[in-house]
Amino acid sequence: MEKDKFLQLLRETLEIENEELAEDTNLSALDEFDSLAVLNLIAFIDEHFQMRLTENQLKSISTVKSLMKVIGSERFT
Amino acid sequence: MGCKIAGNEYYLPDRIIDNDELSKSFGDLDSKKIEKKTGIQQRHIVSDDETSLDMAFMAGEKLLERYDRNGIDFLIVCTETPDYYFPPNSCILQEKLGLKSSIGTFDLNIGCSGYIYGLAVAKGLINTGAAERVLFITSETYSKLMHPKDRVNRTIFGDAAAATIIEKDEKEHIQEFVFGTDGSGAGNLIVPNGGLRNRYDPHAPEVESSEGSFTTQNNLYMNGPEVFNFMISAVPKLFNDTLEKNGTTLDKIEFVVFHQANKYMLDYVRSKINIPKSKFYNNLLKTGNTVSSTIPIALKDCMDKGLLVPGDRVLLAGFGVGLSWAGTIIQL
Repeated sequence: MEKDKFLQLLRETLEIENEELAEDTNLSALDEFDSLAVLNLIAFIDEHFQMRLTENQLKSISTVKSLMKVIGSERFT
Repeated sequence: MGCKIAGNEYYLPDRIIDNDELSKSFGDLDSKKIEKKTGIQQRHIVSDDETSLDMAFMAGEKLLERYDRNGIDFLIVCTETPDYYFPPNSCILQEKLGLKSSIGTFDLNIGCSGYIYGLAVAKGLINTGAAERVLFITSETYSKLMHPKDRVNRTIFGDAAAATIIEKDEKEHIQEFVFGTDGSGAGNLIVPNGGLRNRYDPHAPEVESSEGSFTTQNNLYMNGPEVFNFMISAVPKLFNDTLEKNGTTLDKIEFVVFHQANKYMLDYVRSKINIPKSKFYNNLLKTGNTVSSTIPIALKDCMDKGLLVPGDRVLLAGFGVGLSWAGTIIQL
């Protein structure tokens, strides 16, 4: 997936209204990143990357870049 | 010969907690946001002196108003929140409901898949000639197990009981079953203390389970992400296996009723399986997730609203605590 497309879809998934997402945005510090947003994220990753994020993987997520690393950096262009 | 669901009723406790009340008690929760995200507007909660046995009695009485109680020859109660370690709620209920003493009773301890398990056991009892008319009651009071400061689970779960009569019929209305179990996920939905392995600890420390949500080892714990992962992987397979085992396809089924876990999760799983919205029921709005009672409550509401009529084929699927899952197809 193209990085810009991913950032746009991720923003929609997490229902972030007030700011743009960049690779260095710290997701875990965002108010929107609550327990229900985590469910949105799980569904989003399952739908677009056919993979399921485990609890440990979810805990390791800080920045957008760290999420992309969990998904697999090679899957982004 | 076979068996059919002859009727069902449900009972909801009087006390209602709506999103405004939750929002007030947690300060920073937005009540509209709760509804948008969970599909739940309110949930019914038992009072301190009301138990799953009391709710089971109310649901049973409501149903038995129109049936001859002397015709009931087996009583099954599905609950994970019984009044006592023993005797089982079902034995006490036999006397309270005025059922004859020449009947069999037992409790079934399973959660969100419990309604399907009860139907399977009732079918087995009837088709082997052990019983002719089974009263099956689901009743759960998760509210008693949730920490007062557990904002996540308190938005999701509500208390309820449902009573169903399954009776012998010339035709088989309760079709084939599919079951599944994965004990490796036992810790994802659990009350760690209070049983005999870890006794209730009055000094159990409060820990933050997720953002602003607190619990102790004495309370209900749910690992939301792992339970959702379980649903994503188990439910589509359960759905397809249930169709296959019954030699049928989705277009020959009038309706699909899943355990009402959480609207967001259900919508995602529904779209993943490609079940049309017109065939899929969602009724979390007024009751929340009532564990083993969500499916019978949905069936009753669908019948009352005319969404389902006699003769319709309905695929039922329950999944949750255990982890455990089960599915079947019934013909009304």
